[in-house]
Amino acid sequence: MPDWIQIIIRAFSLLIILFFFTKWLGMKQLSQLNIFEYITGIVLGGIVAIHVSTLDSPIHFALISMFIWFIFPYLVELISLKSKAFRNFTQGKSRVVIQNGKIMEDNLKKEHYSTDDLLESLRERNIFKVADVEFAVLEPTGKLNVLPKRENRPITAKDLALKLAPDREPQTVIMDGKPLLEPLANISLNPTWLETELEKMNVSIENVFLGQVDSDGQLTVDLYDDTLAVPSPSQKPLLLATMNKCQADLELFGLATNNEMSKQMYQRNSEKLQKAIDYISPYLR
Amino acid sequence: MMTVGSQVKTCYASIKNIEATLGILANQTNEVDARNAYRETQEMITEIKNDLEKQVLTLAREEPQYNQ
Repeated sequence: MPDWIQIIIRAFSLLIILFFFTKWLGMKQLSQLNIFEYITGIVLGGIVAIHVSTLDSPIHFALISMFIWFIFPYLVELISLKSKAFRNFTQGKSRVVIQNGKIMEDNLKKEHYSTDDLLESLRERNIFKVADVEFAVLEPTGKLNVLPKRENRPITAKDLALKLAPDREPQTVIMDGKPLLEPLANISLNPTWLETELEKMNVSIENVFLGQVDSDGQLTVDLYDDTLAVPSPSQKPLLLATMNKCQADLELFGLATNNEMSKQMYQRNSEKLQKAIDYISPYLR
Repeated sequence: MMTVGSQVKTCYASIKNIEATLGILANQTNEVDARNAYRETQEMITEIKNDLEKQVLTLAREEPQYNQ
């Protein structure tokens, strides 16, 4: 067998083996790997590289060494999943470097983390003043995770005591001009509904690049033809506007009438409508 | 000129519109919380609608020119 055919066979078979090994070793990203997993990956790649191009070494040498470098990290990972103590040993523990706004110098030293490293990592998180930090942890991967002090954290709806309507993930129902039946069924809608909605928007499905439905059943589309204007969903804002108008009308009627009974009726209902608006408006935004 | 009767009647129609839209929204959503909220609001609106309906009838009787 000529050498070049051998190289092709080796390259293909080792490539396939390597593909499955990396698949079985897990879905972690490169940046999440600890040093041991990182080295394992490099060694596996090295073994493949050497044996693909060096024909003097028999192919089963490659298989044996690759198998060992695969099965060992695999077992380590398997045991790590089961035992916390083992996990601490193999993957390392996260270490607190700032607590209650104070830097833990001893912990920094243990991790060989210099003050400059700490400042750099903080700057990466857009924090330029150590005094703004309440708590910071150095993860085994070398990443620094920071909890800023309460007043330096971004405002959330909870901080503002805002009532927000819950929502679910939107479903993609049109892709490349074709309806997707499964996501449609997930939100208990059918293609006829989709056709009606598209007709309301005055667009044909062939012209739709992407269409999504939110948990309130509102359809938004992106068209191939970007010069066409697509109406955004107007049902909910329109409803809120109508409710506000009616509320104002009822108040006006109440002021205008001389009949005491009618006056009371208008006032009562205007208050009731205001209550309904306050109640439903989070859902209509 | 819009008489009081026709103004109230317009408002009554808007209220009916609100009631119906809330019904549509309640049927469209697949979020249980949202559906209940829409339904509850719809019930409140229905009460207002019933009150207004009576008022529309009363006004129609008081403003005979409006009926012609």
